[in-house]
Amino acid sequence: MKNMTKTRTAAGRMLLFCILLGGLFLIFLLNVGVGSANISVGEIFQILAGKVDVTDSRYLIIYRIRIPRALASAAGGAALAVAGFLLQTFFANPIVEPYVLGISSGSSLFVGLVLLGGITFGARSVSPMFLFAGAFFGAMLVMIIVIIAARKVKSIVTLLIIGMMAGYVCSAATSIMTAFAERESLQMFTMWSLGSFAGFTWNQVGLLYAIVLPMILLSFLLAKPLNALNLGDRYAESMGINVRLARYALILISSVLTAVVTAFAGPVSFIGLAVPHICRILFNTSDSRILIPAAAVGGGLMAGFCDFTARNILSPVELPLGAITAVIGAPLVVYLLVKRGDL
Amino acid sequence: MNNEGYILSTDHLDVGYESRTVIEGVDIQALKGQTICLIGPNGAGKSTILRTLTGMLSPVNGCVYIGKNDVCRMKSADRAKKLAVVLTEKLNLNMTSAYEVTAMGRIPYTGFFGRLSDEDKKIIEECLRTVGAWELRNRDYKSLSDGEKQKVMIARALAQRPELIVLDEPTSHLDIKHKIEVVRILNRLALETGLTVILALHDIDIAVKFCQIVLMVKDGKIVAQGRPEDIVRRDTVDRLYGIEEGAFYDSILGSVEICNEARPEIFVTAGAGCGIPVYRLVSRLGFGIATGILAQNDIDYAVASAMKLTAVSARSFQPIGEEQIRQAWRYMESCRFVIDTGFPVGQENKENAKLLGHAAGCGKTIFSLRDPGESAEICGRGADIIYVSSMAELSGRLQEEAGRLSES
Repeated sequence: MKNMTKTRTAAGRMLLFCILLGGLFLIFLLNVGVGSANISVGEIFQILAGKVDVTDSRYLIIYRIRIPRALASAAGGAALAVAGFLLQTFFANPIVEPYVLGISSGSSLFVGLVLLGGITFGARSVSPMFLFAGAFFGAMLVMIIVIIAARKVKSIVTLLIIGMMAGYVCSAATSIMTAFAERESLQMFTMWSLGSFAGFTWNQVGLLYAIVLPMILLSFLLAKPLNALNLGDRYAESMGINVRLARYALILISSVLTAVVTAFAGPVSFIGLAVPHICRILFNTSDSRILIPAAAVGGGLMAGFCDFTARNILSPVELPLGAITAVIGAPLVVYLLVKRGDL
Repeated sequence: MNNEGYILSTDHLDVGYESRTVIEGVDIQALKGQTICLIGPNGAGKSTILRTLTGMLSPVNGCVYIGKNDVCRMKSADRAKKLAVVLTEKLNLNMTSAYEVTAMGRIPYTGFFGRLSDEDKKIIEECLRTVGAWELRNRDYKSLSDGEKQKVMIARALAQRPELIVLDEPTSHLDIKHKIEVVRILNRLALETGLTVILALHDIDIAVKFCQIVLMVKDGKIVAQGRPEDIVRRDTVDRLYGIEEGAFYDSILGSVEICNEARPEIFVTAGAGCGIPVYRLVSRLGFGIATGILAQNDIDYAVASAMKLTAVSARSFQPIGEEQIRQAWRYMESCRFVIDTGFPVGQENKENAKLLGHAAGCGKTIFSLRDPGESAEICGRGADIIYVSSMAELSGRLQEEAGRLSES
């Protein structure tokens, strides 16, 4: 197994990429079409083309609920997978995922403050945008701590530990709050922390794409330094790469990507860990120029598939998204690794 | 300062970390096509010097110039086109072919997305061929042996098209074949393409034979610097590594010999290089050795004295004198066995043949590596001769006889 050097040609990789892209489109159609009310592909296109009356219930279901949700899952999955890929390269460690730097814990803390604190202290309801602002702020706060730490410490492992410790502190604060919280708000918080792409409005989808798309494009610009970083900091530096700048950009991009998804959909685990791996093994490369687009499309596909499963497998009960991503992602990674022999 | 014509030069350079000086007064002026080697014990600061030369570490005092530019003020992208490095750290690369690793060397030249032009591809192929790794191009880097990996890393450095390559212990962990291959590649590049090579080496024997200039680094100082023939001598090397007992460096052969100062139990008649394998074998078995009579220009003498054996010697190109013969007899009589290495007998060393005859006369057991007929003629009829045809046999018989002797 050690010597398995199956090289993929450029054409093979292109084909594989097109298959992923086709899969993403297919899962989008499925997510829009299938549910408690099934709508055929033909009808979907009619509705999209505006040939159906706006008061039609199918129009409302698709246009108000399912399309935003499908779009959100695609962007969210892409964002998490790209962030995971960037961090795995950054830490030169294959078991890193976007939440490892404590970003989700920072989000949880502030969402907790908003949901638990807000309602307990008399606010009637919490607007989704306010929730988003809290989650985003929490994630960025942890990220800033990590970036400041990155200036001081040289060792990447130390940085990893700092991120984890910041995460623990946030989790501790969150759990203290839950002890004082009221039952109603606690349930809302629990629901959020399980992760879901449900309930996206068009405004939120717009905001999500407005942040995710430019960030993924920015990450493309990091492809060359990322490839050099595969050889380690010193080699990268000796080849004229500004390692420091690349590191900041990397942390910034991956944190923003993770923060925005977490803010809207809660912590969705495993996509950021599993998808970059699956892509590496499928494409048999560690070239960032191939893996960033592959992870983006693959992440969208996986998130869409998991969301589809969560909604439909035990319909009408909707399962927590985080459970599905773990149940599908973990065995897949293990299978691919065992089949390949090593990491 | 005048650094005209130098690929790399230093000016009052002290190297170290932060403000703590590790090595003072590093003075390196590297010309085009020169091979410069740092040798010295582990932890002497060789890597610190190399890291400073490559601009990865700021000097404590002074400056390093690449051409006319201060290495610390150069733009890293410009520096990468002049200077390439091969480091000691192991790479954690997955799913990357040897070709892709080499292609990384083009990073200073490629555009924003690192797309390889036809020119780049030509250079990559050339570099892989130069190091003899073109056949490995499609292999996964991780699956290569240490030696093959090192060759690929050198190809990668060459792909940067540097004027200067700096290597930190490029031959450690390699087997002898790859050690020599790596050194030959670097030597050829220096001679043929005018690449300047600065490296740290562990193997002093390789350093001496391959480098034009050697710097000996010890205890925060450059203790000696110059052509290896001028500065690499037994005393400097033994002092450099703090070798005080156990092993000695032989400057003629450029090798380290394990010394054997035990009381002589075996007398070895030798000459013309026949003695060296026997000395080493007998030493390994734990016997003390006396040897003779050797001309001082004999290669056996060089090794015998590096091993600190008891040796009876005659001045170079002088006949063996009475005094030496008497001395050799005395040593021989006090030894348990005699080994005849089968040295060629000629005009100048015919006394050695007589010596064997004397041994036979005294009733000594003689182990002979010589042809039996010739042996009988030299030692005389009735001599106690054990004929051995190989070193393995000699080793076996010697232990056997020694065992029998100590029993009785």
